[in-house]
Amino acid sequence: MSVIQAVLLGLLGGLGIWDSRVMGLWMFERPLLLGPLAGLILGDLQTGIILGASLELVMMGVVGIGSATPPDTVSGSILATAFAITSNLDVSAAVALALPIATLGQLVGILVRTGNAFFVSKADKAAERGDYSGIDRALWGGAALFFVSYFLLVFTGALLGSAVIGQFVDMIPESVSNGLSVASGMLPALGIAILMQLLFNKKNVAFFFVGWVLTALIGVDTVGAAVVGTTIAYIIFQYAKDGKPAAAVSAEQGELSDDLGGEL
Amino acid sequence: MGNLNQINGTAEDSVMTKEIFKKTFWRTFPLQACFCYERMQNVGFAYQMIPALKKLYPDKKDASQALKRHLAIFNTTPCVVSFITGAAIAMEEKFKKARENGEECDEESINAVKTALMGPLAGIGDSFFWGTLRIIAAGIGASLAAQGTILGPLVFFLLYNIPHLLVRYQGLKLGYKSGVSFLENMAQGGVIALLTDVAKILGLVVVGSMCASMVALSTPLVITIDGASVVLQDVFDSILPNILPLGLTFAIYKLLQKGIKTTTVLWGIILLGILGSVIGIF
Repeated sequence: MSVIQAVLLGLLGGLGIWDSRVMGLWMFERPLLLGPLAGLILGDLQTGIILGASLELVMMGVVGIGSATPPDTVSGSILATAFAITSNLDVSAAVALALPIATLGQLVGILVRTGNAFFVSKADKAAERGDYSGIDRALWGGAALFFVSYFLLVFTGALLGSAVIGQFVDMIPESVSNGLSVASGMLPALGIAILMQLLFNKKNVAFFFVGWVLTALIGVDTVGAAVVGTTIAYIIFQYAKDGKPAAAVSAEQGELSDDLGGEL
Repeated sequence: MGNLNQINGTAEDSVMTKEIFKKTFWRTFPLQACFCYERMQNVGFAYQMIPALKKLYPDKKDASQALKRHLAIFNTTPCVVSFITGAAIAMEEKFKKARENGEECDEESINAVKTALMGPLAGIGDSFFWGTLRIIAAGIGASLAAQGTILGPLVFFLLYNIPHLLVRYQGLKLGYKSGVSFLENMAQGGVIALLTDVAKILGLVVVGSMCASMVALSTPLVITIDGASVVLQDVFDSILPNILPLGLTFAIYKLLQKGIKTTTVLWGIILLGILGSVIGIF
């Protein structure tokens, strides 16, 4: 990896963290988009796309909801993709690499968010003076701190790591790398379980199995399942919306879906 | 921009001119640029209020009061913040007029309303944008990308961001125009609750499908009984295809429900994979 490529990857790291900080979350921080971009920088778009897809599945449950700082998808995706391309790793090794990197990135994230207290106190002082542009400066100070930290994290990781990672991975015994490959097949289950926690309520559990049966037994792909899901959601919305108070609507919804199940 | 003229039409000297609307809209993006743990998105919130505040309070003393007010703790889902921004601008404007007419008013109630709105809005925002829209977009995008086509990331990007930008833009308009009453009406009419419910249903269908297509687990074990060998995976497949991934997913779900940390489960899975393949059960 050349220094220029490492710099570009570092800039991509800055862009990745800025997605949720400065740009308002366009999902540039997700592996599905960072993978191809990192691939483009290293001249292997194809591998970047495929790795991005695998990493997305593993990291699907990693989300920054509320005030907690999650494992860092940005550095994890970029560096894992970069190492996989430069050291010719297979997908499972790349996935296994992404996780410790994301944990390290999480630490950097926590440090920056703690350090930002400095800029918040600057903002307080600006407010005291009634100084509008002082608030602007404080905000962009925090933004700069985020960018620089993640640039440095990804840049140094890319520069130092690419030399070491290849040799390190060669040392891993075959049983362990087989195990990593098995684990990378199982890890999407964690992401899916986290989503189930977010989505389940007492009434709607059955809809999980609608999707599961469609794909596992009938062989419909995810796009097809999404179309079926949209249809079901639309039908329920239309039947339930007509001027009912919230309590009545949600009480009735269970019955409605039961009726549909019977007809289908 | 047609509706915007309507907004301006309602009050002749409205603070929300086209220019200020545009500036405010762009300023809703860097909400978390100065995120810190004590007061979270507070600097970002104050930052979005500045174009309107500048016009309302050119005087330094008033500006100071208003800025301090909007530097209070704030946290919500970034893509839906503009509803609250719009409502807060509408309230600032109303309070300033009331004060000019000699009425007593307590500006701190603006913060009370912000605080009251940010939680419920984050609830909808998180379950819709994070829990449903992102999952559907990523599920479709990843299944295309796994085949190596650039369509995968593109579809993901568009599916997520078209609704995201629409909600952000319309949210600022609606928040300003009907202020708090709009959100209250939505909540009372049950539309928000219903939308959240059906969004979750759609999300679950996709998640169920992804559980079947994206979790991979099988066993190479062969059991020999009286010289007859039985391939264990064939037994599983004859009961129900894909039963191992499904069982694994629900086992992990149970662990999470018991309050076991995600990172613990994550490393547990990796350990299980390595141990299992050393013993030879995977």
